[in-house]
Amino acid sequence: MAGAGGKNLNLKLKVWKQKGPNDSGHFLNYDANGISTDMSFLEMLDVMNEDLISNGQEPIEFDHDCREGICGTCSLVINGEPHGPDKGTTTCQLHMRRFKDGDTIAIEPFRAKAFPVIRDLIVDRSAFDRIIEAGGYISTNTGNAVDANAMPIGKAEADEAFNSAACIGCGACVAACKNASASLFTSAKLSHLAAIPQGQAERISRANSMVAQMDSEAFGACTNTGACEAACPKEISIENIAVMNREFAISSLKSRK
Amino acid sequence: MSYFSSSIGRKQIVGICGLGLSLFVLTHMLGNLLVFLGPQAYNEYGHALTSNKLIYIAEAGLLAILIGHVIYTVLLTIRNKNARPKKYAVTPAGEKKTNFAAKTMIYQGVVILVFIIHHLLTFKFGEEYEVQYGEVIMRDLYRLMVEVFSQPIYVVWYVIAVIILWTHLGHGFSSSFKSLGFNHPKYVKKIDTAGCIYAAVVCLGFIAQPLYMFMNN
Amino acid sequence: MSKELSSNEPTGPIEERWQSHKFNMKLVNPANKTKHSVIIVGTGLAGASAASTLAELGYNVKSFCIQDSPRRAHSIAAQGGINAAKNYPNDGDSVFRLFYDTVKGGDFRSRESNVYRLAQVSNNIIDQCVAQGVPFAREYGGTLSNRSFGGAQVSRTFYAKGQTGQQLLLGAYAGMMKQSANKKIEIFARREMLDLVLVDGVARGITVRNLTTGEIESHSADAVLLCTGGYGNVFYLSTNAMNSNVTASWRCHKKGAYFANPCYTQIHPTCVPVSGDYQSKLTLMSESLRNDGRVWVPKEKGDKRHPNEIPENERDYYLERIYPSFGNLVPRDVASRQAKFRVDEGRGVGPTGVAVYLDFKSAIEKKGEAAIKDKYGNLFQMYEKITGENPYKVPMRIFPAVHYTMGGLWVDYNLQSSIPGLHVLGEANFSDHGSNRLGASALMQGLADGYFVIPYTLGNFIANTELADVDTNHEAFKKSKEKCEKSLQKLLDIKGTKSVDYFHKKLGHIMWEYVGMSRNATGLKKAIEEIPKLREEFWKDVRVLGENNFKNTELEKAGRVADFLELGELMARDALNREESCGGHFREEHQTPENEAKRNDEDFCHVSAWELKSEEKLDWVENKEPLKFEYVKLANRSYK
Repeated sequence: MAGAGGKNLNLKLKVWKQKGPNDSGHFLNYDANGISTDMSFLEMLDVMNEDLISNGQEPIEFDHDCREGICGTCSLVINGEPHGPDKGTTTCQLHMRRFKDGDTIAIEPFRAKAFPVIRDLIVDRSAFDRIIEAGGYISTNTGNAVDANAMPIGKAEADEAFNSAACIGCGACVAACKNASASLFTSAKLSHLAAIPQGQAERISRANSMVAQMDSEAFGACTNTGACEAACPKEISIENIAVMNREFAISSLKSRK
Repeated sequence: MSYFSSSIGRKQIVGICGLGLSLFVLTHMLGNLLVFLGPQAYNEYGHALTSNKLIYIAEAGLLAILIGHVIYTVLLTIRNKNARPKKYAVTPAGEKKTNFAAKTMIYQGVVILVFIIHHLLTFKFGEEYEVQYGEVIMRDLYRLMVEVFSQPIYVVWYVIAVIILWTHLGHGFSSSFKSLGFNHPKYVKKIDTAGCIYAAVVCLGFIAQPLYMFMNN
Repeated sequence: MSKELSSNEPTGPIEERWQSHKFNMKLVNPANKTKHSVIIVGTGLAGASAASTLAELGYNVKSFCIQDSPRRAHSIAAQGGINAAKNYPNDGDSVFRLFYDTVKGGDFRSRESNVYRLAQVSNNIIDQCVAQGVPFAREYGGTLSNRSFGGAQVSRTFYAKGQTGQQLLLGAYAGMMKQSANKKIEIFARREMLDLVLVDGVARGITVRNLTTGEIESHSADAVLLCTGGYGNVFYLSTNAMNSNVTASWRCHKKGAYFANPCYTQIHPTCVPVSGDYQSKLTLMSESLRNDGRVWVPKEKGDKRHPNEIPENERDYYLERIYPSFGNLVPRDVASRQAKFRVDEGRGVGPTGVAVYLDFKSAIEKKGEAAIKDKYGNLFQMYEKITGENPYKVPMRIFPAVHYTMGGLWVDYNLQSSIPGLHVLGEANFSDHGSNRLGASALMQGLADGYFVIPYTLGNFIANTELADVDTNHEAFKKSKEKCEKSLQKLLDIKGTKSVDYFHKKLGHIMWEYVGMSRNATGLKKAIEEIPKLREEFWKDVRVLGENNFKNTELEKAGRVADFLELGELMARDALNREESCGGHFREEHQTPENEAKRNDEDFCHVSAWELKSEEKLDWVENKEPLKFEYVKLANRSYK
């Protein structure tokens, strides 16, 4: 199991096990021995699972896919921190060199009423899809577009839009927020589309309908604690939330609905 | 969707009311600084305020703001608590941990509300001593203050409550601006700094008064 | 037995073919479109763009993905960019040049008409994406920015930092969500396609497993679009996402869809090297890095000095030396093979000796660290997270890894497979990249298929086909459902001793060793012997724990690995059959004295489309589609 250049760790894991959405769930303790510091956190879980399977025990279920920090599938709250201790990092990019021999690591799912647990560490984040469905788009049918350079957009605006659009929709903001608020997620999309000229036509209705959808899911409200920004693996700025608040207030004044 | 039933609308109402209350506590603190000039200045200031008929409108307005602040906070808190029925086993300790003041606003608020009620009962609805300056008879609030602040237990409670108010204002002031949509790299630091200075000035001003009274008696 | 396949491509001057084909195809009138339904499997660039566009046109779309949200399909991980023949930089680009580069880059094993169409619609894609709000990189004046990629001498790649795939996919996903709000798309997430359902020989539906509840569901429609990506994970280690798999394609293959050129796999030259046997996947470092990074190894064998201690004159910048005109920007197959040669010579670097350096020192000296950070910041950060080394100070260590599969289900010019009604889009089909794909062309192809090709050709299919009323009560759906339930139960009932990953890793090892970056007859024969043995062992000894009626990742993996164990054999057979070297397929027996790929146009200027004759015996027949090169003359590919 040793890596090319790393050392080995012996760890204690305390992992949340929950059979399904209606099960109450509990922690189970595991020993993870001989873990190379060059492994990623998820590779450590892979190794654990291989051990469990060879002992006839059910493996730990966790969500993951691209393992390069962009798909937003991986989750996990590691020692109370969504995506673990490193800032600007998804769980799949977290490496075991971050831990010390003998550490105890608590692994929990993202906890929020709006993210029901499917099994063990896997949660259902479809609430995010419904928020986007409510207005997180620019309505333009294929084939309608004018030449891409017909509408110049300053580099600063384009970069600003990109920074908000970089959200991977992982839900760490919800997991980190004491109120399980989806404000950072929703606001990142609103800011992205508010920053560029293409997004102006639907700007008023967008803020209203996306916030309404966000509220109709079981998310809490923002209290500006900044936990979301600190936990965000893409370091999406909390400024976006102020943008959303502004957009929403203006939209409430202007909207005829 | 109605603005008043949306999470952001409610948050903004809490913020606006909070800023209104912030303005009030600042003027309250500044007015109270008159205690340092002695009983007459202080009592005359109190009399001038209470004898003006407009005071009822102001008090009603203030009460409405307070109620707005509290009710919408309670509604949001219920929503927020419901959003996470199951708590985490571990609280973050590293770089991702959150500011204590920001995390505990609601608890600070509860203490402050208890303090406000107690404070009103002690002073506004407290013992009605009288004093005469020239021809005018007025309430001797100064005497009441001297009496109250001669009790160490009250001073301690007062100081603790004001320190909690300090943390509440420290987060609340700048947070209100953010809820209202003011957060931009150009000025956000300035708002944060202004919030810190404001909270410190108000609370040090408040704390100075009972301590001064306690020391002088 | 073997058939000659017709591509159904239009004739006439190449620049007019798509235009005239569009005119000649039948249309479905707007009111009738709303009466037709389409199943789209997969929500990557091809699937999402097809779903939103067909829904806009009025079709009722059912969209399926294995991820928890359509937004997470693996297109999201594409880093570098998307090509288009806009010629904004005024450096001599044109539709014809993009077409020419792609045909040449594909080593003359793609269909000219398809590639020309791809180049033609490339510009519309950029317009469409900008209209959707995709935040492409821009110049200070507000116009779009371009960069260069391998295999081209013009700058035609549009990008959004190192996250172009993410931004394009989110654009297409947003379009989908709008149509979902309009009730024109019904989204089924966490569903895995297990079978294609044919009624009267036409693809009329699919059988899927709900990955959350384990339930087997049937869905019917008037046509099925497969947009399920590539099969690189047959190698176990690849840059694909962990859940990327061949199952949907393979089950269609078993129902009669031909599998074309399975041996064409792309090995990407710039990936983070393997660090240990626990490794679960390989991480790509965008090809765009080769714009500024210089590839080198020490001149001496076994030089174990720290890279910063090796002086300039003791370094071999081998790509610049061998290919002076393209330098570090040679196509992927060439760069990968050269890296392998260096390692085989014993000049590999790093703790394992299986890597080469990608050095940014001179770019940092020339342009400054800030400029490099602005361009590649997120990639450098990612590298540092994985390796713990700072690439601003120490050269990156890179090594090739499986990245993309040019092979896939055979489709005609209309993107229809050999099964009527089954259309295949994006990486899942074989069509546009020949035997080697150029960088930034995968995004282009996925979106071209979904936004601009299938909306026309699907209409033509529907207008020309008598579609009987079929729903899921039809016997064929019931049979398919039973079959799927049985095969899942079979996996659970084996109760063997070895995990699914054990078999997957073993298969990956065989594939990499014998069907990897360079192949020879002996090795391929060995693979053809070993894989069936492993397959047999799998069906006797795999251990899949848990139940079928809960989320069960091991059960999902088991089904996928079972299919990889069959695909692997076909890949080896195809590679053995193709007695030539072309693009990503390098047969050691067929190389020039300078170790370049040597094609055999006389005997192999065709597509090999494999038809499964017997599912039990895994018996294949090769059908051929001859390739004609009328516009780009067959020539030796040279990047010197």
